Amino acid sequence: MIPGDFQFSKPPKNKLILLGVLGSIGFIVFAVIALIATFHISSWIDKPIVFAGEAPDQPIEFPHTIHVQELGLDCTFCHTNVTKGASASIPAVNLCMSCHTQLGDGSTEIEKLREIHAKKDVIQWTRVHRMPDHVRFIHEAHVKRFSGTRLVVEKITDSTNQIRLTEAKTIKAGAKIGETLDIAASGTCSICHGDVSKMHKVEQVRTLKMSDCVDCHRENDAPTDCTTCHY
Amino acid sequence: MANPSWGMVIDNDKCTGCNACVIACQSENNIPINEEDHFTQRRPIQWIRIERYWEGEFPNVKARFIPVLCQHCADAPCEPVCPVYATYHNDQGLNVQVYNRCIGTRFCANGCPYQVRHFNFWEPEWPDSLENQLNPDVTVRTRGIMEKCTFCVQRIQRTKRESEKNNTSIKDGDRQLNPACVNGCATDALVFGDFNNPESKVSKMKKKELGHGGHGDHSDHDGHKEHDEKRGYHLLEEYGTHPSVVYLKKVDYESKTVEKH
Ligand code: SF4
Ligand code: SF4
Repeated sequence: MIPGDFQFSKPPKNKLILLGVLGSIGFIVFAVIALIATFHISSWIDKPIVFAGEAPDQPIEFPHTIHVQELGLDCTFCHTNVTKGASASIPAVNLCMSCHTQLGDGSTEIEKLREIHAKKDVIQWTRVHRMPDHVRFIHEAHVKRFSGTRLVVEKITDSTNQIRLTEAKTIKAGAKIGETLDIAASGTCSICHGDVSKMHKVEQVRTLKMSDCVDCHRENDAPTDCTTCHY
Repeated sequence: MANPSWGMVIDNDKCTGCNACVIACQSENNIPINEEDHFTQRRPIQWIRIERYWEGEFPNVKARFIPVLCQHCADAPCEPVCPVYATYHNDQGLNVQVYNRCIGTRFCANGCPYQVRHFNFWEPEWPDSLENQLNPDVTVRTRGIMEKCTFCVQRIQRTKRESEKNNTSIKDGDRQLNPACVNGCATDALVFGDFNNPESKVSKMKKKELGHGGHGDHSDHDGHKEHDEKRGYHLLEEYGTHPSVVYLKKVDYESKTVEKH
């Protein structure tokens, strides 16, 4: 044995326990920091891959599945402003009540609705899609851009009567290049909102980050000047 | 069709100094209320202001007014100094301020000879009763960023959208298109329009009063100096910023001379 060399001697038991405890605390701290960093970095790049959360709970469970998929209501039946202005608009309680004074007896959710209506109150929906304050998103212009009779193409050459395959596929699953689609105003919603008719609770499907907007604008021959959206 | 080149003609002869344009701009563009404190600290936010000059000695004193707003210069001193491209010239002749890009270095305000760029030194505040009158089409700027007259780009964009929807062209002098200050001016001292359209009112006024019309045509820049009847000039012309705002001199009928302020 070389004198002065490192000699391993087993540490006493209480020191071992202390080391163990410190090590576990260190590991937990590291894991928490790593998770937070992952959340921030991933949500910066795209959607968060941790703590992403589910679709938010609404004060009244409104199943788009029943109203759109089963009953076949058009999106614009309730979101009336979507073809007329900036915001798509949430319908007034009165519109719900035009059916639900008669329909849906016995359901707790509809009782909640009737109670709100009786109190002349409004439903405090939880907002799912929210643009930052410095962004002007005009639904009307986007609906107009994608609706009508449109030819499915790979690359846009005439933005007045064409639609890209990527967008066309969200409207009609089996769309092919060269096909002509007749797209109603409500057909265009799925491009950004996904297939809401299949959602029991509405959730956000696209990141709706600026890169998302700008990529789409570039590929669809739409203006990319800052004043298009920011003013 | 060529891109528009938005601009304004301001007739100093018609301006009465009533400040209606200032108020119109204040309410259209969600500008916080300037209190006395802000003025004493020289930090009020006024996208358009009325400069008042006294002329002559009491009792023969005359008040002179010049409305000053962002000149949307073609060679803007504020643009190249921005490190983050938060201010730039777009294809419509507008000097654009992108609020979400601005990091508040204030280089641009130091570069502007017209002093029309304003920095948000405080978080904007309104009394509760006024919160509901904020314009939803205009961003509320937070503390720490620069702002200035936008030629009411929200109104231009809206009119453009409407005209695309209805397949019509943008009408010259349309009240939907005109900036708030122009609509607010009772004496029509402010006229807004497209300098690229030779038929627009501003182009005609510019041609008549400055001796040349149209965009980028600065060839006849000194032409008006020889003709007294031509009243057009640019503010601080000698800096060569080529503003999009044309001023018309005050006509002083008593002294029968045309004075340039
Ligand atoms: S509203 Fe017209 S007249 Fe009044 S101060 Fe402004 S520019 Fe002058
Ligand atoms: S054009 Fe609009 S933003 Fe500019 S001074 Fe007039 S009202 Fe204000």
